[in-house]
Amino acid sequence: MIAEEPRVDATRVTELAQSLETELARLIVGQKALLRDTVIALTAGGHVLLEGVPGLGKTVLVRSLGQTLSMSFSRIQFTPDLMPADIVGTNIIGDTDGRREFHYQAGPIFANLVLADEINRATPKTQSALLEAMQERTVTVGTQTRPLPSPFFVLATQNPIELEGTYPLPEAQLDRFFFKILVPFPSEGDLLEIARRTTGDSTPQLKSVADAGAILTAQRTAREVPIAEHVLRYAARLVSATHPDRSELDSVRRYVRWGASPRGLQTLVLAGKVRALLEGRYNVAFDDLNSVAQPALRHRIFLQFEAEADGITADRIISEILEHTAKEPASK
Amino acid sequence: MSSLEAIVRELRKAARRALGARYAAHALVGAVAWVAAVMILVRLVPFERRAELAVLGIPVALAIAAAAWLIRRPSAALLMAMADIRLGLKERLSTAWERRAESGPLDDAQRHDAVQHAARASLPAAFPVRVNRGEATLVAILAIFALALALLPNPMDQVLAQRQADRVSQARAAKAVADAKKKIADSGKPSPKDAQIQKILQDAQAKIHEADSPRKALESITPAEQQLQKLADPGTPALQSSAQNLANALSGTAAGRSAAQAISTNPAKGAQSVRDLASQLQSLSPKDREELAKALAKASQQAQNSQMRDSLSKASSSLQSGDAASAAQALNDVASQLDSLQEQENTDQAVAAAINGLEAARQGLAAQADRDANGQGGQANAGASPSAGASGSGNGTGTGNGTGNGNGNGTGNGTGTGGTGGTGGTGGTGSNGSGTGSGSGAASTERIYVPGQPVPGQSENDPTPLGPGQDVPLSPYTQVIEAYQQAALDATDQSLIPGSERDLVREYFSQLGEPRAAK
Repeated sequence: MIAEEPRVDATRVTELAQSLETELARLIVGQKALLRDTVIALTAGGHVLLEGVPGLGKTVLVRSLGQTLSMSFSRIQFTPDLMPADIVGTNIIGDTDGRREFHYQAGPIFANLVLADEINRATPKTQSALLEAMQERTVTVGTQTRPLPSPFFVLATQNPIELEGTYPLPEAQLDRFFFKILVPFPSEGDLLEIARRTTGDSTPQLKSVADAGAILTAQRTAREVPIAEHVLRYAARLVSATHPDRSELDSVRRYVRWGASPRGLQTLVLAGKVRALLEGRYNVAFDDLNSVAQPALRHRIFLQFEAEADGITADRIISEILEHTAKEPASK
Repeated sequence: MSSLEAIVRELRKAARRALGARYAAHALVGAVAWVAAVMILVRLVPFERRAELAVLGIPVALAIAAAAWLIRRPSAALLMAMADIRLGLKERLSTAWERRAESGPLDDAQRHDAVQHAARASLPAAFPVRVNRGEATLVAILAIFALALALLPNPMDQVLAQRQADRVSQARAAKAVADAKKKIADSGKPSPKDAQIQKILQDAQAKIHEADSPRKALESITPAEQQLQKLADPGTPALQSSAQNLANALSGTAAGRSAAQAISTNPAKGAQSVRDLASQLQSLSPKDREELAKALAKASQQAQNSQMRDSLSKASSSLQSGDAASAAQALNDVASQLDSLQEQENTDQAVAAAINGLEAARQGLAAQADRDANGQGGQANAGASPSAGASGSGNGTGTGNGTGNGNGNGTGNGTGTGGTGGTGGTGGTGSNGSGTGSGSGAASTERIYVPGQPVPGQSENDPTPLGPGQDVPLSPYTQVIEAYQQAALDATDQSLIPGSERDLVREYFSQLGEPRAAK
């Protein structure tokens, strides 16, 4: 019954993740959870929305990630006057053997790693240009649909405090993001280390530790991680509990307008699988789900105005759900 | 650890141990709770077999716990899941067990990883044998509570003691009736009504035995006595008197002396002797015939029984007229009447013995009923009541009615109503009062059934010898009543009975018509 060696070398995924984290940590001070969640999303093949005040290293993180991965990298600075064609590309007239005809000029979206900086500064029309790319991993210009390179990984950033002249992301757009990661302010010790590393005469140079093939292999391996039925049921209960009409929690019924979508459950399970691998395990545990619940669900729970008035956040709702959802053992 | 099955076996063994301990604790809680409940119950309801009832709960609780333990077999999946949680194995075992038949790319690795981690863990620790602190506290509290209830005086003890005394009293009464039955059966003097007497006694014995209380048992005695009295022939005394007069008359004659002695001995022998005399009439001398005729004539004049008087008269006249054959025939008729007298005496003897047995039963039952009425029912059995000092009092008034027969043998049946609120102590209960009955009848022949009752001038150690065919001493009414009255009044003076009861006794004797008053 017990095989001598696994057919899929899951340890390589673990090593890849550890290498990525180690390399990024050379430039990013502290922020271990941020790095871990980013690597999880990358390994799961999901997109990340990074939210934090300016200056916390969001852009640096994405740029560093591009350096550690031997993949194409694009940066798109979102501004109010950015147009969809500026992202997905457009058809332009050009000369071909003396004939003038339209040629498709690919936009910056055609890269393995795309940084959508300050995504909430672009208009909804421009933001929606990302919808097809993020979900279908294709771009349609005119009548022609073109596939994006694989792997395709969007890391968007947004500033939560500077709201003037911004366009909050619509629910459909938010739901496309695998994780929404909050970038916390560094601790005092981390601040000191940041000062030391960035104010000297040299800046650490990152090396590439993985290529597109390794990332794709890791993504396939992660999907093979088994999950027990009762653990899967727990994940489903967590997602159900975010809905006010199904939850037994007063806070959910009172403050939540709409709960997480089925995509939230997919994210929860897939992220749990990746985390299990990163923990050196071959099965999903309750802890894995609990650990990824916040970044996976916080942008999928839409609160009532009353919640904002009472200072209730989605993270607090999720914490209560985690606290009150039973980890019932298998009964059969 | 070689396989998942081995892990399951080890977990199952540990789980059985832990469940066993848990169910044992449940059983202990159940048993102690049962005992405590029984202790409470026996303070509210008088229950005799309290110890058995309390002990019964222990094996029952253990059996239920054992059955539950045997029935409950956690599934392997549940065991694995619980082991995961309790040993921190991060759902390795449950996933491996659930997917033990799967062959995905990572399933083998996952099972391998699960088995390795299980080998490093102490699997029995997932199901530790431990005492639930709440249950232990509950057991201690219940045990102390039950013990305190067991040690503190129980007000129901007195009720139980009274019941026990009642039962003993009823058993003794039933035995007295049974003894009377045996005595009648063994008397060797069969009478035609023995079967009826035995039946009456049998019924009375059964009713006494099955009665709820001595007072109820008492109610079955009077009807039985009345039934017995109906069996007695009221003409027996007259016939007896006639026979005795015949014997007295014949004793003065040469020919009839032996017959007189035989009649005095018992009527049956007398009958045989009279027949012998009848057959010898032809050989008697004229002088003896004349003497015999005069004696028969005298006996005829004194006879109170008409048949006897006619037969004797006919025998006398036939002898005087020299008709020996007619005289012999008349004497044979007299012999037949003596045989009949013998049977009547046997019946009366049996009735008397039966009534004596019932009276003996009545005395014991009445004494116990009085004790019950006074709230001292438990005193009938020495030490039966552990609640020392408990006492009660009852009072009541009774009305009585009685029946009597021509022999002056009266029986009473009392019914009474009384206050039920006994007071004092912790358990005394008052009960009904007692009633008395009186009987009256023609005092033609005085016969009183007073077993063991000495008559004036006779000590208890020197009882009156039984007469021929008699079961109890027969004394003239006038000789007995005075001593009987005195003894009864002395007894009432010495007993703790209400004055009204004492007056009732005096009234009873005054109603009998005797001029003597109590001292």
